[in-house]
Amino acid sequence: MILLKFCWILIVVNALTIGGGYVMLPMLQKEFVEKYHWLTNQEFLDAIAFGQVTPGPLTVMNAFIGYKIFGLIGAISAMISSYLPCIIIVTLVAKYYYTYRESIIVNSSFQGIKPAVIGLLAAVAISLGNTSLVDPITFGIAIISFAVIAFTKVDPTFVIIGAGVIGALFL
Amino acid sequence: MTNIPLKNIFLVFLKIGSFSFGGVYSMLTFFERELVEKNKWLTHDEYIESVAIGQMTPGPPIINTGICIGYKLKKIRGALTTTVGQVFTGTVLAILLAIFYIKTRGNVLLVSIMKGVGAAVVGLLLSIVYKMAKKTIKDYKTALFALSAFSALAIFKLNPIGIILSAGVLGLLVYGRKTR
Repeated sequence: MILLKFCWILIVVNALTIGGGYVMLPMLQKEFVEKYHWLTNQEFLDAIAFGQVTPGPLTVMNAFIGYKIFGLIGAISAMISSYLPCIIIVTLVAKYYYTYRESIIVNSSFQGIKPAVIGLLAAVAISLGNTSLVDPITFGIAIISFAVIAFTKVDPTFVIIGAGVIGALFL
Repeated sequence: MTNIPLKNIFLVFLKIGSFSFGGVYSMLTFFERELVEKNKWLTHDEYIESVAIGQMTPGPPIINTGICIGYKLKKIRGALTTTVGQVFTGTVLAILLAIFYIKTRGNVLLVSIMKGVGAAVVGLLLSIVYKMAKKTIKDYKTALFALSAFSALAIFKLNPIGIILSAGVLGLLVYGRKTR
């Protein structure tokens, strides 16, 4: 039953991930960490980091979360639930591309959702920051990571690995 | 529909999925080189349309682009093949990392490493917010949408699923009449 609940959350969340892969994070944090307490904030942060350093989309972090809560069956169910809505929606859109592209309902609702999810992501970044930014070194790492990723073309994967090395040496 | 064997489609997408670190744009170039230039499975226009569909549908844009290409090549079987191909390596690695993570819980060195990593993730998320805002927040209306959603979650602790659905409805009310 809990596994079904977990899958259902992933299906709903992925169907509403509009505007980029990171948009799922506010929804996942609310459901997994705050509502059901399946993960701590720290574990959620770790999952994001693993999703980022593994090849493929960030969504791969759901396999990590699924495994952590339910074992192998959880990881596999997580991947199926994450991509099922994508497959259904994309194949329908591919078929009716022109109707969809011109649809006023789709365009205007997305126009509202796209700026809104930025606010949500900012709120989650602050909430996770409350967990992980505890001293001058962690603050420094966050500021440098922000600057490097925002203003240079360095791959975030290297930034995360670099931060791990600094953590090993100084934290 | 084409007569390209599913196995070949799977292998190309496995390759794309296994070497796709980070940036969306480097990924898209990789797609185009593999699918349009090397294998000639798609024309440039079909590829551009797939990228557009990937970006205007819910879910990770790269995966959705792949699903769309798979569907164009081999209908639903193609869509499933490209999805599995693209996420296979990442999923296996994520499971291995999870096993390792559970086994080493409490290890002092690992706790230190993850503290550094956690701080970097916060910086990463803020940079994503910055990049998305630069692209999307253009006038007072979009700024108001972003600010309201922020306060709804950060201050009023509302559920993000509800916030996204409400933003969609409000978008329909605000922009619905103006968009031709």
